Amino acid sequence: MKTIQLKVNGAVHSISCPPAKSLLDVLREDLGLTASKECCGKGECGSCTVLINDEAACSCIVLAGQADGQEIITCEGVGLNPNLDAIQESFIEEGATQCGYCTPGIIVSAKAFLNGIDHIPAVDEIKTALGGNLCRCTGYTKIIKAVQTAASRNSSEKEPVKG
Amino acid sequence: MLVSNIEMFSPSSLSECLTYLSQSSKKHKLIAGGTDAAVRMKEGKWRPEIWINIKNLKELRYIEEKDGCIHIGPLTTHTDILRSDLLKRKADVLVEAAREVGATQMQNMGTIGGNIGTASPAGDTIPALYVLGALIEISSLNTKRLVPIEQFFIGPGRTILRENEMITGILIQPQHPNEIGIFQKLGPRKAQSISIVNVAISLKMIEGKHCHGGKIAFGSVGPAIIRAKKCESLLSQGPLTEELIQNIAKVAWKEVLPITDGRATALYRRDMASALLERGLYRLLRRWENR
Repeated sequence: MKTIQLKVNGAVHSISCPPAKSLLDVLREDLGLTASKECCGKGECGSCTVLINDEAACSCIVLAGQADGQEIITCEGVGLNPNLDAIQESFIEEGATQCGYCTPGIIVSAKAFLNGIDHIPAVDEIKTALGGNLCRCTGYTKIIKAVQTAASRNSSEKEPVKG
Repeated sequence: MLVSNIEMFSPSSLSECLTYLSQSSKKHKLIAGGTDAAVRMKEGKWRPEIWINIKNLKELRYIEEKDGCIHIGPLTTHTDILRSDLLKRKADVLVEAAREVGATQMQNMGTIGGNIGTASPAGDTIPALYVLGALIEISSLNTKRLVPIEQFFIGPGRTILRENEMITGILIQPQHPNEIGIFQKLGPRKAQSISIVNVAISLKMIEGKHCHGGKIAFGSVGPAIIRAKKCESLLSQGPLTEELIQNIAKVAWKEVLPITDGRATALYRRDMASALLERGLYRLLRRWENR
């Protein structure tokens, strides 16, 4: 066992766990943050995506001991009802979810992507950014549309208020 | 060994890490990005007694040019490579290869040292490092050696690294203004895939379609990376016309040594190695003409 410090969604936690336990299991089992999902368990599907120091990573293959002292953002940290983020509002508006298993990972990847740009992205850019997130139900059309909708919301929010 | 019993040591400096490697009596393994190591642990293939976590050794994460060489720290991530203006200018083929590694999450986590140390015949950055004449700096507590990348691998997943050693640097030759490179990959899908075949090409151009030679390295079509020296020898035989390019591609079909595995058959790999090289040469020429 090892004691690790994690800053998750802004709150600092001290957790005692085996150092080779996956970060995903720590988030779900020790902290009760169950938005991030285990699907493939080997970093191929992206349903466990979280931000580690602002960069998207697959939490199922990050070991807890490696995450010690790092800053983690999960889908819960992007936004929770009723304070949803623009990207989450857009997913609801566009109906970009079906079974929902991949959705939290996609929201986190999309959030990281939109944080790094200040334009409305083209379809190809979104495909590249979300290349590591697989969805097996809806197809990607609505997901891509939702990311574009969120980008246009973000940019309209940034515009200076007239008058 | 159960996962819950594996310990972890996170050295705070390179010297602390090398000291540990030289003294450790436990069965240890290094872990950086974890994109391979953690997966192998979960699959039960790798169960060391202790992980040596080097992910946060910041002193091994850098890209800089000095003394006529580009030095890359082994903990440099693929994302770092994609963002580097120096590498975009002087090692274009490596940037292209890093872009083809997995997808965003893997590029953020995975490191170039890990890609080399894992020694997968399908590792995407390795053929690019071959054509850039890479040297691998290997250190132990008391020794340091520089090894050409061709001599680093001894088989799939196997390298010359000893128990007490680790990769501490990667040196590549910067490209001259007349050198251009390209990386071509065929995977089962566009993003997040393991190569069925990949090829890195670097050409020294002279005038028009004439080139002064170059290097070609294939991945995933042999037990280690294959330098296609017969193909290379044809590069400078005349202008790179359609006919010559097609001839070179035919030679590549014979020069690669693929096997059949879960991803593709040997015959398909030969066909695709030939096609990727042909396409890569056409694309390189177009880039050279439009530069």
